[in-house]
Formats: sequence, structure tokens, C-alpha cells
Amino acid sequence: MLSIKNLKASVDDKEILKGLDLEVKAGEVHAIMGPNGSGKSTLASVLAGKDNYEVTGGQVTFDGKDLMDMSPEDRARAGLFLAFQYPVEIPGVSNINFLKTAMNEVRAYNNLPPIEAKEFLRMMKEKQKLVEFDSALANRSLNEGFSGGEKKRNEIFQLAMLEPKLSILDETDSGLDIDALRIVSRGVNKLRSGKNAFILITHYQRLLEYIVPDYVHVLYNGQIVKSGTKELALELEEKGYDWLKESAPAASFH
Amino acid sequence: MSTDLDILKDVSTEEYKYGFTTDIEMEIAPVGLNEDIVRYISQKKNEPEWMLEYRLKALRHFLKLEMPTWQNFELPPIDFQAISYYAAPKKQVKLNSLDEVDPELLATFEKLGIPLSEQKLLSGVAVDAVFDSVSVATTFKEKLKEVGVIFCSFSDAVREHPELVQKYLGSVVPYTDNIFSALNAAVVSDGSFVYIPKGVRCPMELSTYFRINAQNTGQFERTLIIADEGSYVSYLEGCTAPMRDENQLHAAVVELIAMENAEIKYSTVQNWYPGDKDGKGGIYNFVTKRGICKGDNSKISWTQVETGSSITWKYPSVILKGDNSTGEFYSVALTKNKQIADTGTKMYHIGKNTRSRIISKGISAGEGQNSYRGLVQIGNSAENARNFTQCDSLLIGDQCGAHTFPYIESKNNSSMIEHEATTSKIGEDQIFYLNQRGIDTEKAVALIVNGYAKEVLNQLPMEFAVEAQKLLAISLEGSVG
Amino acid sequence: MENTATQIINSLYDQCIADFEVRSNTAEPEALTALRQKGFQNFKKAGFPSNKVEDWKYVNLTPFLKESFATATEEELVEVPESVIKNAAIPHLDVWTIVLVNGVFRKDLSDTVNQEGVFVLPILEAASRPAFQKHFGTYTDLAKNHFAAVNTALFRDGLFIEIKNNAIVEKPIHVLHINTANEPLFLQPRSLYVVGVSANGSIIESFVNAGANANVFVNNVAEIFVAENANLHHYYIQAGSEKNRYVHHTEVYQQQNSVYNNYKASFPGTSLLRNNLNIALDGENVESHLYGLYLSGGHQLVDNHTIVDHRKPHCQSNELYKGVMKDESTGVFNGKIFVRKDAQKTNAFQQNNNLMLGRKAVVDSKPQLEIFADDVKCSHGSTVGQFNADALFYLKSRGIGEEKARALLVHAFAFDVTEKIPLAEVQDHINHLIEEGLKA
Repeated sequence: MLSIKNLKASVDDKEILKGLDLEVKAGEVHAIMGPNGSGKSTLASVLAGKDNYEVTGGQVTFDGKDLMDMSPEDRARAGLFLAFQYPVEIPGVSNINFLKTAMNEVRAYNNLPPIEAKEFLRMMKEKQKLVEFDSALANRSLNEGFSGGEKKRNEIFQLAMLEPKLSILDETDSGLDIDALRIVSRGVNKLRSGKNAFILITHYQRLLEYIVPDYVHVLYNGQIVKSGTKELALELEEKGYDWLKESAPAASFH
Repeated sequence: MSTDLDILKDVSTEEYKYGFTTDIEMEIAPVGLNEDIVRYISQKKNEPEWMLEYRLKALRHFLKLEMPTWQNFELPPIDFQAISYYAAPKKQVKLNSLDEVDPELLATFEKLGIPLSEQKLLSGVAVDAVFDSVSVATTFKEKLKEVGVIFCSFSDAVREHPELVQKYLGSVVPYTDNIFSALNAAVVSDGSFVYIPKGVRCPMELSTYFRINAQNTGQFERTLIIADEGSYVSYLEGCTAPMRDENQLHAAVVELIAMENAEIKYSTVQNWYPGDKDGKGGIYNFVTKRGICKGDNSKISWTQVETGSSITWKYPSVILKGDNSTGEFYSVALTKNKQIADTGTKMYHIGKNTRSRIISKGISAGEGQNSYRGLVQIGNSAENARNFTQCDSLLIGDQCGAHTFPYIESKNNSSMIEHEATTSKIGEDQIFYLNQRGIDTEKAVALIVNGYAKEVLNQLPMEFAVEAQKLLAISLEGSVG
Repeated sequence: MENTATQIINSLYDQCIADFEVRSNTAEPEALTALRQKGFQNFKKAGFPSNKVEDWKYVNLTPFLKESFATATEEELVEVPESVIKNAAIPHLDVWTIVLVNGVFRKDLSDTVNQEGVFVLPILEAASRPAFQKHFGTYTDLAKNHFAAVNTALFRDGLFIEIKNNAIVEKPIHVLHINTANEPLFLQPRSLYVVGVSANGSIIESFVNAGANANVFVNNVAEIFVAENANLHHYYIQAGSEKNRYVHHTEVYQQQNSVYNNYKASFPGTSLLRNNLNIALDGENVESHLYGLYLSGGHQLVDNHTIVDHRKPHCQSNELYKGVMKDESTGVFNGKIFVRKDAQKTNAFQQNNNLMLGRKAVVDSKPQLEIFADDVKCSHGSTVGQFNADALFYLKSRGIGEEKARALLVHAFAFDVTEKIPLAEVQDHINHLIEEGLKA
């Protein structure tokens, strides 16, 4: 589904990703861990197409298409979803209006007619339940005045509504209390299927107790320096990242 | 991947939707402005002597005045002698039924989304349709008559309700008020007249649709609305004009009078031709609008959505004379290409416990310039007066400008005034977030702008709120992608 | 005269014109003579502004200018009681005191500033210095500022301060402006302060009256140049009697990475006080802070006009003006922020709050934004109101008397400004003047 080859990217002429490789197939859940500044969020932003990141090398294909050639909205329409670390607030734009607009854009891209009002409402109801997203929140302006946990739940609610092929969860767990984390994880687990895939970007092994990944990768200094199964996450939790120093090619520690 | 800048540069060729012209035989006054022309207009309209006298006095005053110079935009010189002050379709008979309206005109208004034929009428909305210098049709007149509401063209009112017109015409905006009110009083073309009798809640929305069609003319309409004690009316005006290379002048005067416990809600969706992307052509929209809350506990509320005209220059105002009276001003003004909007309000607090609320949202895109200019004046008799003002400016692109000129004057120490203003750029983060959910930049901007303007759009009568939202989105198309 | 609607026609105008025409400035450098000529031409054309001129909308100057003023003082030194100087001192603050009487720099009454790299001179004695020649008259728009134009044409006295590159002024320079007269007097002092690269200093200016028997109209113009990476704290403490009328024009020009802070406090006294404070942020990463406190009483008219002109990117300005109007006084605030096209990433903030104490007090507030760049964060606000009734009641219910409670609340209102003053002694001094001003 997603194939990243030797991806290099920089911000303000500073290289952050230094040749990253990753293969994600349908039905898989990948976790990407790493210390601060290793390039985790950069990876998420580059995949989603944020414009202050400059891709300087490598290749990314998504369902066979060159992802880097696509506009952010086309990436989304093609089925790539980023759950933001810091979802923005947009005063005056109602959650519902926003979601309906987004859904119909995605459907139009896939040559589907606009969703019927009745069907949309039914779906809303169903998916709200999934992430225990209060319908009062759904009626408010997009993320405006939401607590951190509410914003994250809204991200997963949108994920459920838009049914993307590949979801990237950027530090969705950070700042969540254990109850919110359970709710969010349960939502994600219910959405897992053989047709979709997830990339979990996280700092903490804790999330992986709730969403069990098929693969765990360690991102360090812009490259994936080690890959394994969920046991690797436990090892990281126990030992920290320092023991991986040696495996980091051309790594320089400050 | 396109950056914001690319998108902004990519000026679309989306054209003004209402820019067509109607081919109809017209009677047009010779160009120029003098007493003969004024007499000609008055005679065409079959007016009583007093109206002619009023016009002539105004004309003599106008000829003494000079154009103002305090505005912060460059006003191209206007040759008042090069304009024709009267243009009307030739087949103009006294209309008793809509069936008698020239089919060409019916078709024109149909095309503008204002069906005038009985079966297609918007339910709950009565319409007065003004084409160049004359009203061509007023719907639901009879039905409104049943409850005592008078809704007719201004010209009809001069003839049929002279006592009301004489009493109130110029009582809120005297012809001496400013150069354009003097001009308007001299050459009034047509407009709407509304009288709501005591205790009547007008059963439907009243609406006037203004259309400039003829070349080389202006429109100088006059609207007079009187809400007698304890009455209520909601009134809406809309306007469009063909695309023409030369600028055309629209200098209207609107006067509102609210008696004790009465409420007038006045909404405007202004979509005059804005000129092309190089600033060529477009309407000069120089309008004087003022209402007076004459009686205690009365209320006047102005709502405006301004997307058209090459220059908009107007300050719908309220004189809060009655105790406990309320004045409101809600405005969205969008400028793009080379459009200029200089708009705002004046709230004159005279009565005790008077309240005013001002919400102004400016959106500047392209090379558009947007100014809020407002006055909140608390007189020494206005015990416990209150004002709240919020004016925000949103900038889209680095070639536009946003300006804020509030005047706050208080002579009463029990008054409380609060004014806030912000100016910021449209959020790149917000646009990206929406992009990431599959919404392209153009739609994203439209969504954000509609959200930003929501507080004002919510004030519009429901039938028009959706239209206004679409209008904002369409108006933005040329400037963001 | 050009336009009779926009200017005041009076004998002072004629007198100023005549003064200039009979005057010879042969001893002055040619550039200065040319500048005076320019000022004269502008004044001749524009005269004194009537309130048809937008910037003078709320000030009717006619009654303040109608007397027959003398436009020049006698050459001999005016006697000033020692107590006047003493009373204007800021308690416990170690400063260099510089005394100007009717604009004339009085070495006999002033301290000697004996620090290397710091020069304090009568303005005309500095005319041959490079800093004078480079900066004098460079930043003030004589076409737009009527009073600055006539000052440029006719000034004789005033002060020049230069702080050389890298000099850190050891203690604040306290400039005491004293005026006194036995017959109506129109004074036009002029200052130029030049702060060099990476230099630092504090200049405190106090304006007081030495028991004048006649009206004194002071048309004071100051120009301030703040070079790269320099830092200047600049204070105005305005007192004076009802015989005084002041028009201050302060023009500040800042280069990159510089900081200029202006603290302005005025108190009941002068019948007319008009402050023009214009700041040009003409380099990247410039910071300007403007704090104003005006307490007015009697029939006083206090008008604060500011222009903050953002010309370059990444600058920050912050303006907070607070007015307290007692009795039948009028307080005017007119603040303008310009953000030019190139000034991206500007942060500009402007706030004016007014407390109307007098039943017949008047407040006029005009905060304005003119913005031509898009990537900016600008806001302004203005409020007019009176004491919070609940707060007043709370204090009274704790046994605090009405007058005391009101004084406490005025101090609380002023606190946002006074707390910004970096010198504790000046803070105390101003708090003391607030107390005195409330009693007056």
C-alpha cells in the first residue's frame, strides 16, 4: 500500500529525514518510535504534504501512485489520513458541515454521488458511539474550545467517518489520560481490517498495549535503525534509546 | 504541490454571474444635471408640486457642494454632468397585475433568481423590483393591504401617500447631510416605501431587488420605512448590474423610522458589478443609510453582506433617541481584485439606557482594500448607554489591505463602551488541516471565511442566509484558486 | 494662506511669519538654514491647524493661541526659585539633572555629565557635530506637522544629547523643563537625542511651571535617533499650571534590533496638553513600547496622538494608554498603527482604556489600524467606563472610605502602566503624583 524508499526531507534547509525506508501492506499496523527530534512528526507531515517540508530525495508510492506528486487534498481523497498531533481550531465552521464537505469531496474523487442526508446522519450516530464522541461536540465549531482529549477523539471520529486506507496517528496518545487512551484505542481496533493499514507514531510503549502493532520501527536521526515486532517496543521501554546508538549510521549525539 | 502563493497568483477567470444586459427599449433622459432635468424626472413620475420643490431645493444645495477628501482611498473624479439621471423601459403602463409586466423584464428578474410571476413567488417574501429608474412590479401588495401594511414603490407612495412621505422624507437623512444625499434628493429615481401600522407584525419578509441595466446611467433610489408603534418588519434588498467598462454611480438614500416598541430589521446583500480583475468598470456604491429609534424601546438592526461594487462607501447608522432603544450593525465586506470598501456605522446615543452592538468582519483578498470606519457617540443625556464593537479583518494574500478607523466619543460618565479589533492572516494551518481531509484550498478558504462571517450571516433572514454564504464562496473564487 | 477652513487666522501666525522674515541665521550651517526655510514655507502655507484638520479634530486651538504672545525671551537669564528645581526632583533617584528654563540650557543650574561618550549641549552649540548634521530634522515630516514646521523655522534654544556607540549611560539624565513668564510667551524649544550603536540610556523629562504670572504656550519638538542594537528608556512627566499650554512633538527613528520605550505620565494642571509621539520602526527586529497614563482634571484638555509605523519585518510594538478624566476635563487618544507592505511578521498591539470620573468629563478615543501586509498579528481595543460598582462596594464594606476606595481603584487602573516603569523611584514618584492629582 505504502512504499517509502530512501526518503530525504528537510525543513529550512536542515535535513531531518536522511534516507528512510518503510513498506506498509494492507491489514498491517506499524508503530514508529523514536526519541524527540528523530523525525517522527516530520515523516507524518511529509506524507500528508505539508508545504514547509522539502522533499530532497527518495520515493514514496501510495497504491502505486507517486504520493509526492499529489496535492494534500488528493492524498486525503486517495485514502491517506493524518490524525494530527495538534488539531487546529476553526471557529465558526461546524464539525458536521466540515465532515460532510470532506466526505463528499472524497466520494466525488472516487466517482461516488454525494452521501444522502439520512445515511450521513446514521453514520454519524454509529461512529460517534465508536469513539464515545459526544453529539454536543459534533454540533460545535471544529475543535473550538475542545479539550486535548476531545480533539484527539474528534480525529478518530473523523477517521471512522472518512474510512481511509492508510491512517497515520501522530502522537495521538500524548497528553491523553488512561480512559481517553482506552476509548481512542478501542475505536482504532474496531476500525482495523484486512483492507486498511495504520502507522502509529508514538513516544510511548503504553499505546502499543492497547493497539498491538504487527511491526515496530525505531526512527533515529532521520532513519529507521531497527525494526522488529511488538517485543522491540518493550525492550525500548526498558532500555531507552541509547543502546541503539551503535546501530545508527553516521549518527552524531549531542 | 501548490503553495499558498501559487494558489493566490492563480487568479481564476470566474466571471460575475449577473453581468448580462437586458435588451429592452428604454426611455433615457439626456445626460447632464440641471433644473430642467429635475423637472423632467418629476414630470415623468407625475409628481405633485411639493416633491418637485423638494428636488429643486436639493439640487441647488448639491451644486454648491464639493466632493469629500477625507477618505483613505483614491476617488476617481466623477463628472456629474456626464450621467443620465433617468432611464426607464418604454412600455411603462400603470401595472395592475403582474401579467402586464413586459415579459423581457420578467425574464430578466427570473434570470437573477427573483421570480415575479405569482405562481413562482418565494413564499413568505414580498418583492418590489426596481429596474433602472422605475419600479416594475411589487408583489403581494393586496395581501399586505389586508393587514394595513403599505408596501409600494417610492414613486407610488409620493402620489398615493403624500401625507406620510412629506412627513418623513428627509427627516432622518436631510438633503443637506452630504453631497450624495443632496444628489439623491434631487434626482430620486425610485425605490421602496413601507409603512407598518401600529401593533402589526408584518406577516412576510419584504424585499426590494435593484437592477441597473441601462448604460451611462446611475441609480438613485430612495427607501423609506416607517414602523409605527409596536410593529415589526424585516426588509431585505439585493442588487446587481451588468458588466460594463465604465463606472456607474449608485447613490441611494435609505431612511428608517421606528416608533415606540417598534423593530426594523434591514438586510442588504450587495452584489453590484465589482469591475474586472484590473479594476476596470464596476459600480460606485455611495449610499447614505440611517435610521432613527424615535420611540422608547425601539430597535433598528442593519445587516449587510457586501461583495460587489468597485467602491463601496456607506455607513448605515442609528440615532438612538428613544430611551432603552437598541441599534445593531452586522457587516461582512469582502473585497478582491482592486475593490475598495469603506464601510461601518455610526451609533448616536441620545436616550437613556440605549444599547448598540457592532460586529464587522472585513475580508480582503487580491489587491482589495477594506476599511471599517465607525462612530460611537454618547451624548450627555444618554445615561447608562452601552456599546460593544468587534471588528475583525482577515487578509488573504500579501497585496491587500485592512484598515480600522473607529471614533469613540463619550460625554456621559455612566456609559460603558468596549471596542475590540483584530487583524490577521487566514490560517495556513487551518487550510492545511482541511486539505488533509480532502477539501481543496478554494473550498477550504470558503469554509473558513464563512465560519469567520457566521455571526453576521446568522442575522440574515433564513431564506437569504444560504444565498449569502454561496455569494461569499463565489466571490472568493476569483482570488484564491 | 492656503485654506481658511483648515487653519486659524490670528496675530500669532502673522507674528511668526514676521519673525522669520526679519531674522538672519547667518551664523548657522547652510543645511540648517535651508531646513528652517523649509519649515517656514510649510508653516506659512498651513498655519496653525483648525479642528477641520483631522488630527486636530478634538482640539480647538483658537482660545489657546489668541493672546498677543511674545515669541522671544530676553537674553538675560531668568531667575528660578531653588524650590522649583528641588520639588521636581525624583526622590531617592540618583541622576544627572539638566535644567532648561524657558528652553534655555542653564549650565549654572545643571550637573555636569562627566562620562566618556555622553555629550549634553545646548542644541545650537551642537550644530557643527556630525551627529547633529546627520540626524537633525531628518525624521519629522514638516508638511504634516504644523507645529514642528514653525518650530523648525524659529527655534533658538533646546537640548542636544549624544550617547556614543557602546556607551552605557551610568545614571539617568533628568531633564527639567521649567517655564515662567510675566507676559504671554510662545516658546519653541528643540531637542535632538542621538543614541549610538549598542548604546544604552535613560532620559527622564519633567515639565514644570515656576509660578508664571502669564500664559506660556510651549511648542516643543524632540527628535530621537536610536541606532542598531541600542536601547533607550524615555520618560515624560508632565505637570504644570493652568497658565501652561503644551504641544509636544516627539519623533523617534529606530534601526534594527533596537529597543525604545516611552513612558508618559501627565497630571492635572496645564490647560492644554497635546502629545504627538511618532515612532518609525525602520529595521528588522525592532521593539517599541509606549506606555501612557493621563490623569486630567478641571477643564483640562489632554490629547495623546501616537503613530507607530512598522516599516520592516519581525518587529514588535506594544502600546497601552490609560486615561482618568476628572471634573470637566477631556481626554483624547488617537493611536495609529501602520504596517507597511514589507513589514511581514509584525506583532502590533494597541490598547486605550478610559475611566470617566467626572460627571461632565469627555472621552474621545480613536484607535486605528492601517495594514498593508498579511502575515501580521495586530489588534487594538478601547474601552470607556467607570468604577466597577461591585469593587467599590467591596472596599467600602471592608471599612474603606469612599475617597480612599476610589483612589485605590484609580491606582489599580493605572497599575498596568505604572508596573511597566523599570525604575522603582520613578514608579513611586508617579504614584505620588497620582495621589496628588486625585486630590487636586
